[in-house]
Amino acid sequence: MGARRVAITGIGVVSPLGNNLQNFHRALAEGRSGIGRLPEDVTRGSGVQVGATVQWSPAPLLKDGEAANLDRVSQFALGSAAQALAASRLDLAAADRSRVGVSWGTGMGGAISVDSSYQQVYGKGEWRVRPLTVVMAMNNAAGSNVAVRHGLRGPFANYSTACSSSAMALGEAMRTILAGRADAMVAGGAEALLTPGTLAAWQALRTLAPADAADPASSCKPFDKRRAGLVLGEGAAAFVLEEESHARKRGATIHGFLTGYGNTCDAAHMSRPDRDGQVRAMREALEEAGLAPADVGYINAHGTATAVGDVVEAEAINAVFDGSPVRVSSTKALHGHLLGGAGALEFAVAMLALEEGLLAPTAFLEQPDPACQLNHVARKAERIEPPRAVMSNSFAFGGSNVVLVAQRA
Amino acid sequence: MDTLTRIKTLAEKEFSIAPGELDAAASLDSLGIDSLSFIEFMFKVEEEFGVAVSDDDLKGIKTLADLERHVASALAAAGKA
Repeated sequence: MGARRVAITGIGVVSPLGNNLQNFHRALAEGRSGIGRLPEDVTRGSGVQVGATVQWSPAPLLKDGEAANLDRVSQFALGSAAQALAASRLDLAAADRSRVGVSWGTGMGGAISVDSSYQQVYGKGEWRVRPLTVVMAMNNAAGSNVAVRHGLRGPFANYSTACSSSAMALGEAMRTILAGRADAMVAGGAEALLTPGTLAAWQALRTLAPADAADPASSCKPFDKRRAGLVLGEGAAAFVLEEESHARKRGATIHGFLTGYGNTCDAAHMSRPDRDGQVRAMREALEEAGLAPADVGYINAHGTATAVGDVVEAEAINAVFDGSPVRVSSTKALHGHLLGGAGALEFAVAMLALEEGLLAPTAFLEQPDPACQLNHVARKAERIEPPRAVMSNSFAFGGSNVVLVAQRA
Repeated sequence: MDTLTRIKTLAEKEFSIAPGELDAAASLDSLGIDSLSFIEFMFKVEEEFGVAVSDDDLKGIKTLADLERHVASALAAAGKA
């Protein structure tokens, strides 16, 4: 028997590009943007203009009473996890659920619940706050709700490392399975922080793109000379990760294997990215997967469309892939930046490349910045022979760098 | 609509119980309503009726009918009944 491997047997998505994997993939293939002007009741006095929102209806997944008692981030988590579990055809009723766990990631957890309670207390001077505020707002609520709903009693962890949170959740879930602590893990991440208070904080960083005057849907332009910053989004993605023999025994469809996980810290600056930290994370992931750079056919870049971030990432990719011109795109131009949910959602983009050879584009990339010289998948999706492996980068405030590598089944 | 009916309607929505299947005399435990869920529900009932149920009164509430009695007496005390 060979070494343990971690199979990907189910994927679920709640995103600004649609609330199931099929619609998400179709929008990516068509290069359709989920970014648009945010409503006034969300932006208020923040000055933020655009965002990528999820068109979400809790029904039929959640009854009215249930939805009213769950923060939006938990609703997204439940939506994506239910899809992933259904797609995996894992029979939880028959499974030993003490061997199935949850590994989740989120940046701000129940940000809307926090925001509304603060609005009530500080804004209106009303100190009567709803009793569920704590359990709706706490950072681990989304992952815990997934565990409770499906009775998953195995290992549980919640990672909060800003933009790398859910990539880390996937990587750590892989480690948990490789260590023999679980047969399967529901792993992913969610974010729902489009609230006036949170938007004001982000706007203060002067890192958000204003609305593109001609077409607000094209406001986020990674790697382009005209890029003006990131666009915040919301949503969730979940995966069922499963020990290979466990998956094979039940005849599960295996979409690919999660084989590499790099995790490094810049330990240099809270927001300015560091090339060396990113290089080390990519190399770590490749080494763990036992792959050479030339084996990787596609990278879903972190590519947030900030002035400095895109240049540093391009340099880091070129340092690792020197001589093998790997295809690269940042799909944040279409679905926005999901922050804690970004790593998981973008891993779902990378899986589309791995399984079908469909490379989702860096939409609106018309004037590539010479400082970001990469083998871009620009403007339109492309179809290639499915590559042997794909990579997904997530680089976060706080200096956290997480890189995931997946290989063909 | 009388007080108990209003409370039952709120409870049916909060706890996803089919209309008419809620026994106001049944213990909260037997209805599957845990203490945190009940405190959240009571908060909504207080909002609905504009009354407050004290922590002392809360200890004695074991059924929805108990809750209705406290709400009704609070309404009477406030001259709203």
